[in-house]
Amino acid sequence: MRYGTTIKVPFGPQHPALKEPEYFLFEVEGDFVVNVKPRIGYVHRGLEKAFENNTYMHGLYLAERICGICSHAHTVAFTQAVEGLVSLEIPQRAQYIRLIMAELERLHSHSLWVGIVAHEAGFDTMFMYLWRDREMIMDLMEEISGNRVLHAINTIGGVRRDINDEQANKIRKYLDKFEENIKNYIKILETENTFLKRTVGVGILKPSDAIALCAVGPTLRASGIKNDVRKDDPYLVYDEIPFEVITHDGCDVFARTIVRCEEMLESIKIIRYALDHMPKGELKVKAPRTFPPNESIGRVEAPRGELIHYTKSNGTSKPERYKVRSPTLGNLASVCKTLIGAHIADIPIILAGIDPCFSCMDRILIKKRS
Amino acid sequence: MFEIIFEIISLIGFIVFIILLAFFYEWIDRKFYARIQNRYGPLYTGPSGILQPIADFIKLLLKEDIVPEASEKRIFSLIPIVYVLLPILALLIIPVNGKGIISFEGDLIFLMFLSAMITLSVFLAGWSSACNFSRIGGIRAALQMLSYEIPFGLSLIGPAIVANSLCITKISEWQIANSTAFILLQPIGFAVIMISLLAELELIPFDVPEAETEIVAGWTTEYGGGRYALIRLGKDLELVMASMLVSSLYLGGISQVFFIPPIVIAIIKSIVILLLMSLIRALFARYRIDQVISGMWKYLFPLMILQIIIIQFIG
Repeated sequence: MRYGTTIKVPFGPQHPALKEPEYFLFEVEGDFVVNVKPRIGYVHRGLEKAFENNTYMHGLYLAERICGICSHAHTVAFTQAVEGLVSLEIPQRAQYIRLIMAELERLHSHSLWVGIVAHEAGFDTMFMYLWRDREMIMDLMEEISGNRVLHAINTIGGVRRDINDEQANKIRKYLDKFEENIKNYIKILETENTFLKRTVGVGILKPSDAIALCAVGPTLRASGIKNDVRKDDPYLVYDEIPFEVITHDGCDVFARTIVRCEEMLESIKIIRYALDHMPKGELKVKAPRTFPPNESIGRVEAPRGELIHYTKSNGTSKPERYKVRSPTLGNLASVCKTLIGAHIADIPIILAGIDPCFSCMDRILIKKRS
Repeated sequence: MFEIIFEIISLIGFIVFIILLAFFYEWIDRKFYARIQNRYGPLYTGPSGILQPIADFIKLLLKEDIVPEASEKRIFSLIPIVYVLLPILALLIIPVNGKGIISFEGDLIFLMFLSAMITLSVFLAGWSSACNFSRIGGIRAALQMLSYEIPFGLSLIGPAIVANSLCITKISEWQIANSTAFILLQPIGFAVIMISLLAELELIPFDVPEAETEIVAGWTTEYGGGRYALIRLGKDLELVMASMLVSSLYLGGISQVFFIPPIVIAIIKSIVILLLMSLIRALFARYRIDQVISGMWKYLFPLMILQIIIIQFIG
């Protein structure tokens, strides 16, 4: 039905469905969205400039603070970029430890996200259960690194802390319980009628659109496209570990939920394999303080998708240029496309569907005066 | 003269009792809901946090009172009071103490009118707030009423046909006299009244008018301070009203059992209904408004018609 007139509904910067300040202006006709205008930049922190004013060692701590959820993925990308400047090879054991932390972080990020989607759909009980189980993973990360959120386990040239046998056994024990629970939750999510009604067929992103609009990570994989940096351009020791790239051809929010749930099960397998096959050896090699003029990138599959760090050195201890391209920026164009034609009631669940992390991606917008 | 004063005092006492009961029911609901979700729920105020709803009420009363500049100020201020008074009035009709305080032939119809008035006041609250979220919430409440109102009305009529009376007290007494319960005679009717009451009370899966993640707080978005405290109280009173209504119509009526006074029986039976509601609230996700309307008309309405036909032919 055409109404002829549209109403402008603001969404944000403060809104219960958005955990961070970001503004979307929806043009609504009746109950359907006809146009979306995002306005980003509310939590721009000038991090890239800060990188240029600090040494590489300081940059490590800055990189950790880009995102509160995938802090480890950012330091992996940072160290990868900086070590690439002088082609520094880090010890095998250090690579395994980085990988185990990265996968633990994926578990915590995905369980957090599935909880959020359940909450957006009004399924608070599932939200509470998933966040309860997420605490197990947080405890493991605290056990390994000493911190829950900012792990500070990476350093340029290796890692700071080792995983001993006792910790490895604790990880195995916790993962068994976590895996059992996640399998149970997948069963519930696949059969719970009210949840299916809210997610199946909602926020359709066609595979052709997903490619054209540069979608990344689970959002892309839920549109049936096999794309994972861990497989396509293996970093750390991902090429030594057997694992599957999970895809789903549902193209909707439900597919994104299932892709993330099954990725959690894959991550558990990866961690188990890595713990069993971790070689003994050194934890780090000595890294230089100054880097010769060079350019390098770090490509990492963060929980939300492909994360790219670019750095350019100029022979001093500070980078000439530093650039971060976080996965949410890649997914923003595609989410705006999927929102068109959606019900007002479905806006939060579609927006949450890409696992947005706005402060990571915020840029400065320069508006031309008209 | 003395009798009139006594009547007034007992009426005031009854209302105070109902309000305290409402706070108690909110506590039960919150605690039970939290325990299902593996949380503690209210814990610190009073034993096991039993005084938490009262503490919340007092805290809200102390908050700053804001009326939006663009709102219809008179309606905006009036709605919270109406929202509290309507469930109290309904509770005077329902035989909480074995016999309704105001009881007359046809009070079932009056109760349906009151329940419609509650939704209408919700719509007016949303409309008068002059806020996009409130307005959407108010419209959703009105749309939702279009869907559950008729199955709800029919599910009230079911017991009335068999008991041959439009008086809630008489329906309750009929069940006691025949020592049976309408939940056994009309199970479909019981299911329908539970579902439509969830929609009436705006509980998950039908909390569309105040869907937190979608439209902030729905029709209550602009309310704060004392007015919001009254709306919260109104919601609790609705909870009492709904559970008492179901226990008197479907759970075998309210009367004295051995030496236990009817009020205790009423509370026990209605707590069973309350726990059932909390359980449903914890187990489901939220429907979308169009799904609510089409679902109610597609499934609930034909089911209730079927129930009425069964009553007519089998008796």
